[in-house]
Amino acid sequence: MITKTRCIPDGKKELKKLPVVMHTDAPYLYYPVTNARCPEGETCVRGGQFVKVGEVIGTRKGAFFEQPMHSTVSGEVVGYEKHVDQSGQLVDCLIIKNDFKYEVLETLTDRTEEEIEALTREELVQIVKDAGLVGLGGSAFPTYIKLATKHPIDVVLANGVECEPNLISDYALMMTKPKRVIDGLIYAMKAAGAKRGVIAIKKKYKEIKERLNFALNEYSGYDIQVVTVGNYYPQGWEILTIKDALGIKIPQKDLLAKHGVLNFNVSTLAGIEKAVRHRLPILERYISLSGDGIENKNFRARIGTLMSDLVELAGGYKDKEIPKVFILGGPMMGTNVTQDDIVMTHTTTSLIVQNQVELIEEPCVHCASCVYSCPVEIQPVQIMNAFKARDKDTIKMLEVDKCIECGLCSFVCPSKIHLTEYMRKAKSFAKK
Amino acid sequence: MQVVKNTSPYVRKDVSTKRMMIDVLIALIPVVFFSIYRFGWDALIRIVVSLVVMIGLEAVAFGIMHRAKRVEGRWERLKSRYETYTINNITAPAVSAVIFAMLLPSKLPIYAVIIGAAFAIIVGKMLFGGLGSNIFNVAAVGRIFIGIAVANMFTGTYVGTDLIAGGTALTAVRTGAGFPYVLNSYSLIDLFIGNVPGSMGEISALAILIGMVYLLIRRSADFRVVVSSLATFTILIFLAGLKLYPGQAFDFTLFHLLSGGLLFGVVFMVTDPVTSPITRPGRWLYGLLVGSLVVLIRLFGAYPEGMAFALLFCNMLVPLIDYPQWATNKFKPAFFIGFSVILITFALVVYFGVGGAI
Repeated sequence: MITKTRCIPDGKKELKKLPVVMHTDAPYLYYPVTNARCPEGETCVRGGQFVKVGEVIGTRKGAFFEQPMHSTVSGEVVGYEKHVDQSGQLVDCLIIKNDFKYEVLETLTDRTEEEIEALTREELVQIVKDAGLVGLGGSAFPTYIKLATKHPIDVVLANGVECEPNLISDYALMMTKPKRVIDGLIYAMKAAGAKRGVIAIKKKYKEIKERLNFALNEYSGYDIQVVTVGNYYPQGWEILTIKDALGIKIPQKDLLAKHGVLNFNVSTLAGIEKAVRHRLPILERYISLSGDGIENKNFRARIGTLMSDLVELAGGYKDKEIPKVFILGGPMMGTNVTQDDIVMTHTTTSLIVQNQVELIEEPCVHCASCVYSCPVEIQPVQIMNAFKARDKDTIKMLEVDKCIECGLCSFVCPSKIHLTEYMRKAKSFAKK
Repeated sequence: MQVVKNTSPYVRKDVSTKRMMIDVLIALIPVVFFSIYRFGWDALIRIVVSLVVMIGLEAVAFGIMHRAKRVEGRWERLKSRYETYTINNITAPAVSAVIFAMLLPSKLPIYAVIIGAAFAIIVGKMLFGGLGSNIFNVAAVGRIFIGIAVANMFTGTYVGTDLIAGGTALTAVRTGAGFPYVLNSYSLIDLFIGNVPGSMGEISALAILIGMVYLLIRRSADFRVVVSSLATFTILIFLAGLKLYPGQAFDFTLFHLLSGGLLFGVVFMVTDPVTSPITRPGRWLYGLLVGSLVVLIRLFGAYPEGMAFALLFCNMLVPLIDYPQWATNKFKPAFFIGFSVILITFALVVYFGVGGAI
């Protein structure tokens, strides 16, 4: 009610209890040629060509970087089809027919400890670049650009907070493969020239803390700590995580590297480990299907799997007569898609299927819950009123561009006003 | 299977405006019960009249404000005006109506109740655009209107078991015996329990405090305005007490806290979110202004009681407090400086002003 809201029901407990189903051998795998950050792309394979695991099959081209595409299976290139990608848009996808042999490219041999030890900063950055790694926390920002910063870095933060409800893939990763996260963190520290590493997790994840600390016993030569931060939303927002885990206050829109900090999602770090040690791109990832409109299941699936296959494997939709809402990512900030024909990429963390609930907007009663709850301390209700009056100057005065669209204002509103949507509209209106 | 579009966030908190309104109604129950216990049918009739007038007129005004659709049949057209009519169009005027009734003396003529309730809901609320758009507290508008327009009707309507017929404890301080002697006829315990003459809902501090605890626990009222206005009031009245009756400053403070409409106003009227500022510092400031204005009106004004006036005056200042140029949810140094400057100014005015020093 009239109070700051930071805790939201997260539904993770139920999901964690579900077993993880392995689904790594889909007959056909799909690779989007373009994505939200890379509007252009080209493939470098022909139809009928045989490719192996880890082979480069094309390049996506962004504004200031290029990103290689890798095959995650061995098999034959069949052709192209249009499917929905992580951002909810219909994109061209390259199809590879799985031959179920999973032959790895001959050149992709594991590096030995000595080889890894001998890698220089530049080489590490190049490895990450070649692996096509992007931020797996949701930003999909190319990781090598962050690592290749010119600023001196003191500390690398592994962000395992995962504050969005219904997401447990980072949790599962830290629980099952803590060493990969720690190794990845060490490589990232080396690539960035940082002395210190910090892993930030939620306070309530005591089991993860124990597990990480136990794994850290073997790494006594490195300055790595596990730090717990609050169980709140949006605690995983990098600026809040850094503030609570390291005590460094970074103004919004400032480059993190300027303050000597780099922030990576734990999945990204595990990806770095894989690229450095095994010369492989990310081949598989955890993904969970949740929500009240679908049979809930956790999967470990190969990148390129079609989501509709996973839905079928999980047991299909519930209550088919009720209209559904499809969400990729978390329920607070996830992307809305209108079909389940989705290609799983390495940034896809979960699919949520909700039964639609009709909400009736009541008039605002100025309770100020949105103002109290806003993590960036702007005033959503005032911005909404200014936007309704199309008052550009006032919108700018109210600093709408600070908004991170975390969704808390809509979440807390007792009148069910969709404030976050007003914030987006006001943002684009103020830019015009 | 149908798939619909939506935008993030896809989950919402389990709260509603309806719940906030019903919480206020629940918090009013002890006060209402006490007034019915004390004044019997008089109280019940006035509450019901006020409820009927406010809910009915809001419904009528709602129909006039919404356009009818071009459909066949007079009845269908009338119904189409009420498509967006929700439970809040009943609970919100119900809250205003009960609060308004609680501000009245029990013997006030029924038609004065009707005039006040009608003026409050039409001029105070619906003319501004209905729920959420009014800038003045609805109940206070009605109370002030009849307080001024039909002032004669109020004389002799406060029922008490006392010699000073028709006056409240605060009028007794003004026109009757004066401060320490008033405690002989109205002891602090009586004031706390409500065994004194006065407006129906304002007399029992105990019933009001029960309601306050409920509201604050349910978070349907903001504790900031409550704490801020009560603290300011206590500090300023204590200062006045120190100057006027050095030996009885505590009694003086308690007497003022418990008498009149202060507690009721602070708990049920100042906390009205619609007419409050929307930032944390703004709400602290708002409480400060209400608290100090009540003190100023009580000590220097022409009325023995000043809650409703202070509230309406501060309602006018809300747009100023909320002006985007300086309104912020952060506690900046400017806020602390401004807050203490205002508080100290009022404290100096009160301390040197009482007793006719200036």
